[in-house]
Amino acid sequence: MTVLILTCEEDVTADMVVVHLNASGVPVVRLDPADLTGSVALSGEFVHGSFRGHLSSGGRLVSIGGLRSVWVRRPGTPAARAAAPSAWLTEESTQALYGMLRDCGARWMNHPDAARRARHKPWQLRLAQRCGLPVPATLITTFPRAAREFAERYPDLVVKPVSGTHPQDPPRAVPTSRVPPEADFSAVTLGPTLLQRRVAKRADVRLTVVGDRLLAARRATGAGPDTDEVDVRFDPSDEPWRPAEVPPRVAEAVRAYVREAELAYGAFDFAEDGDGTWWFLECNQSGQFGFVEVDTGQPIARAIAEWLARPGNEDPAPADDARSTAR
Amino acid sequence: MQPFALNYARPAVELEATTPYVYDSGLQLNVLLDGRVAACDHALLRELGTTTSTAGSKTHFDD
Repeated sequence: MTVLILTCEEDVTADMVVVHLNASGVPVVRLDPADLTGSVALSGEFVHGSFRGHLSSGGRLVSIGGLRSVWVRRPGTPAARAAAPSAWLTEESTQALYGMLRDCGARWMNHPDAARRARHKPWQLRLAQRCGLPVPATLITTFPRAAREFAERYPDLVVKPVSGTHPQDPPRAVPTSRVPPEADFSAVTLGPTLLQRRVAKRADVRLTVVGDRLLAARRATGAGPDTDEVDVRFDPSDEPWRPAEVPPRVAEAVRAYVREAELAYGAFDFAEDGDGTWWFLECNQSGQFGFVEVDTGQPIARAIAEWLARPGNEDPAPADDARSTAR
Repeated sequence: MQPFALNYARPAVELEATTPYVYDSGLQLNVLLDGRVAACDHALLRELGTTTSTAGSKTHFDD
């Protein structure tokens, strides 16, 4: 039984998992859907109620029915590198590939339906709160007046993209940023704007969930709780990520979250305030993990490889690693 | 005037041009010029930042 990894070639983070799968002798086929219909090919026949067929990539051939798991890591847009790419060909390729894979009986990290739902930030905030995680006051609006009134109630605000996407024309990054008290909110009318009460944090926490395993890392805020650089991704501090223990109530809530979200993998971001409370910011269903493993030595890639390598559709095993820090 | 959130946008940082490894389709891994597997060199990955939350943001929004 083979592990199928859907990702781009330059995804060196996926390599960290492939290394472990290779070491344990688990067959792997790695392909980028962007290479349909060039170096990647597919064929499946609907027989006796299911599709039976094959995928091929780089000279490797794998039976769709012979897949034990599918890891949707950083796949490109299907057929994006075809000889004659088009929106129509992309849609055709998307439906053919993912449509047949849905039928294969393999375990998914993460299933496309669960992944699509889990990307919606408003949905994340509702689910987090329902599971018992504290969520900062949040407003999403195109009404400048609503933004102004929110800012009067919560004078210390941040703004962040609703979707988490970055504009590409031209390429720009939109970090979570502090909003000055004198901000003019009239431009809110031009695009949905997510405003959130800023958490005066003493640390950022990245909690990576793999199946039932929780691996938390903490990075102290280098410039103190009043820094203007609130987005840890852009914080120039050399402060490393360090392994952290997960408070029991957070662990229980996070497990409820991934169970209800039907996620096999999730990267949770929290802001730890001065009282030690972990405020839920978001859960990225395909969040990066390599930078955490590189700093902390936590065996995240190995945990992913072990989850992918397990045969069949079985329930996740309980945490058994000494460095899985749920307590 | 532009959408409010874009008032806080910064130029994107491109990482691809500086990566000292290439994909080996036989190994299904990225390898360094000396043949070593790039993913096994954690010091290099830390230096390059290719496993960080902003890497890959050009095409993927799950950081």
